[in-house]
Amino acid sequence: MNISIINGSPKPGESTSGLLIKYLLQETGESNAQVFKCSLQATELAEIASSDVLVFVFPLYVDSIPSQLLQFLIILGERKDLNHDIMVYCVVNNGFFEGTQNYIAIQQMKNWCVAANLKWGQGVGIGAGEMLPFISNVPLKHGPNKKIGYAISDLATNLLNRQPGKDIFISPNWPRFLWRIQSTRFFWMPRAKSNSLKKQDLYQGTKRS
Amino acid sequence: MNVIIHDLTDLQFQQIFPQIIGDPRIVSNKGSIRNCIGCFGCWIKTPGQCVMKDGYENMGSILSQADTVTIISKCYYGGYSPFVKNVLDRSIPFLLPFFKMIDNETHHKPRYKKSFQLSVYFYGEYITPSEKDTAENMVSRNSINFNASKHNVAFFNSIEQLCGKVGKQ
Repeated sequence: MNISIINGSPKPGESTSGLLIKYLLQETGESNAQVFKCSLQATELAEIASSDVLVFVFPLYVDSIPSQLLQFLIILGERKDLNHDIMVYCVVNNGFFEGTQNYIAIQQMKNWCVAANLKWGQGVGIGAGEMLPFISNVPLKHGPNKKIGYAISDLATNLLNRQPGKDIFISPNWPRFLWRIQSTRFFWMPRAKSNSLKKQDLYQGTKRS
Repeated sequence: MNVIIHDLTDLQFQQIFPQIIGDPRIVSNKGSIRNCIGCFGCWIKTPGQCVMKDGYENMGSILSQADTVTIISKCYYGGYSPFVKNVLDRSIPFLLPFFKMIDNETHHKPRYKKSFQLSVYFYGEYITPSEKDTAENMVSRNSINFNASKHNVAFFNSIEQLCGKVGKQ
């Protein structure tokens, strides 16, 4: 069985989508799947179009599918050599805490499947995406990675059996109020500081009415 | 100020807007737009402005001056066309990186005090009921996340049908 995993993150380097793909490969077995970026190279597109299973792993951008991945979906969906027995799955992560906020992107992926005449498998929406690299040393199915681990495991079982599954929306097992405080103190502020900016500098333009 | 974001050709735009009233800011496809790469530079390096200088780096500032934002886009899978989506992806400097709560959900705090009215016009020959439902929900979410004061969505089978309808929904 040919499983193609598309990393839909537009980030050039490491990304939460990349980390989630690593988790997925742990469950499916690395030899079973091939990972692609949103490449429009003809040879890669032909390989993706002939897959048995397609898994899209991407971040939520402005409530929906990132522009770059959208362009890729349009081109892939219109290919004449597209295998219409493909089962499609997706894992979407967002910067807000609630995984439920990914539901529109998952709905768009379902609409894409209808337009491209492909079979829908399952969607997983994960909140607090920027937090995941910080807890990547915690084993899956444990502590803050408990629900994420079980969701990835469920997805892996379904895609290996080419069977549909119920969409899953989750957030890390972590208090939301603590996540909000930590996102400012341990994520945004250290990054601003590395650019020689203070907290008040980040509010540039806020006084405009 | 009215901001118009669209994916039309010059000819199609003239069909819909034979006369331009006022002095709207028009954001159209000049072929130079680059994809947002999720670097967060617009929040933690040059706050309020995208770090990629391709003519679309000031979307945050442009939206901060808008009373109304009109979007005209071909509908793809219940969302915008790649160009219009790209413009919106590049518009997050309009917001702050920090969070606030709305209806028990986290959302970004607004950078600017001013808010705009959002009107979205989707066109496309075969927009399915499911795509319409998704698009309506998406625009509603966009309205919350861009701190819009009000929003409305309309669907048209063709650009010809759109003529004379923009701004009258």
